[in-house]
Amino acid sequence: MSLIDLMTMAKPNRELREKLYSRLWRVHPDECFQCMRCTSGCTSLKLLELKPHEIILLASSGFIEELASSDIIWACASCLKCRERCPQKASPYDVIIALRNLAVEREAKIPEHYMKAVAQILDNGLTENVQTVTSRKMEPFDREKLRLPSIQYPDDRFKAVFMEILGG
Amino acid sequence: MKIAVYWGCKIPTSQYAYEMSVRQVFPYFDVELFDLSGASCCGGPVRNVNSTAALYLGLRNLALAHKDNFAGLLVPCNECHFMISEAKYRVDNDEEMQRKMQALLSEENLEYSGDVKIWHVIDLLHDKIGVDAIKSKVKKVLKNLKFAAHPGCQIIRPSEIGRVDDSERPSKLENLIEALGAETIGYSEKLDCCGAALLYSHVDTALSLAGAKLKAIQSQGVDGLVDTCPYCHIMYDVKQNEALAMVGGKSTISVLYYTQLLGIALGIEHEKLGLHLNQNIDRKIMSK
Ligand code: SF4
Ligand code: SF4
Repeated sequence: MSLIDLMTMAKPNRELREKLYSRLWRVHPDECFQCMRCTSGCTSLKLLELKPHEIILLASSGFIEELASSDIIWACASCLKCRERCPQKASPYDVIIALRNLAVEREAKIPEHYMKAVAQILDNGLTENVQTVTSRKMEPFDREKLRLPSIQYPDDRFKAVFMEILGG
Repeated sequence: MKIAVYWGCKIPTSQYAYEMSVRQVFPYFDVELFDLSGASCCGGPVRNVNSTAALYLGLRNLALAHKDNFAGLLVPCNECHFMISEAKYRVDNDEEMQRKMQALLSEENLEYSGDVKIWHVIDLLHDKIGVDAIKSKVKKVLKNLKFAAHPGCQIIRPSEIGRVDDSERPSKLENLIEALGAETIGYSEKLDCCGAALLYSHVDTALSLAGAKLKAIQSQGVDGLVDTCPYCHIMYDVKQNEALAMVGGKSTISVLYYTQLLGIALGIEHEKLGLHLNQNIDRKIMSK
């Protein structure tokens, strides 16, 4: 069943649409004229059936709840092609990011990786811990062995501000 | 020229060859690099959870450069370069957001200034240092080598915020490769995305996207792929076997960061460029 078929069961929600739009800056989904330039070049069209022009149509029609709880918004590869090529500044990329934020707020199912990244930032300011890598000859190397300087991590004031923003 | 360098998350925690080669090559062109103290994530993965938090992260790294009086910030990762450029574009054009961000930054004793210029490896080498200056420093001409350039997505789009190269016809990376005496190819998959952003939610798709591009390049008889982004490099080099397996590809193909290739041409020892860390690199390149 296509995304559009699913929506025949749903009711548009104008209030939520305004909430979504309030998160956009210089992005105008209502100006979309369905030229499909976004979809024709979309990285995730073939393998994941992501059709950004449909996302825009459904968002501007008010099917926000359905989009925010759908897996399809997590299929975007963030390649930015649609943002670059949209002649109407409807930028599916930005709408998808705003929908993902909304999904997080509404505690919909979101890929675990992103929440882990946030937790890791609260720990050391970065999304990763320093790793030991192996060379082609399977020899282990870390920063010290490669004579790279040690990392100067952010202090606790950073964590406090970051927490504050995440808390809204 | 003195410039601050922002390494991001991927480079200093696992993509050591990029860090090593960037540190090695710039001093040859009188560019002195200084690590930002207290740098944090650029906001890349965070944008999917909370865009405001991502904006803050991007901006605070610029504010750190300003605090230490740097006029320029080198950002070698494509994704970080986009996130920080996007954060700058937003607050430079949205006063209300700038006020909000300044208030938050002040809690860290930081201040945003629009004066810090953001550089990537490609434009710093191509536009500031220049192809001729690079040519004049080449010790080992990379003759009989042919490469496919992979510019990636986030340093060429969206053009409205000011990017490193043309969004549809990028050519600077090719110019930089040719400056070393090597050849480049034109190929229709050049603008295809590496798929890294899908690695944690749609792993098969991510690997298929990377594999398809590698396979396309292999069929053109090149000696390797040249990239400038730790995410792309993880897909094309670290995950190469899995990526090629997804698309029925067989043999391997060399993948290098541009700064490694430049380092070889400058005559820098391979070990200092982290060339032992690349998972796929053939003898023809290593013999240079
Ligand atoms: S979002 Fe833009 S590119 Fe896509 S269909 Fe609408 S107007 Fe065309
Ligand atoms: S940014 Fe996302 S929606 Fe837009 S073209 Fe790329 S993959 Fe498709």
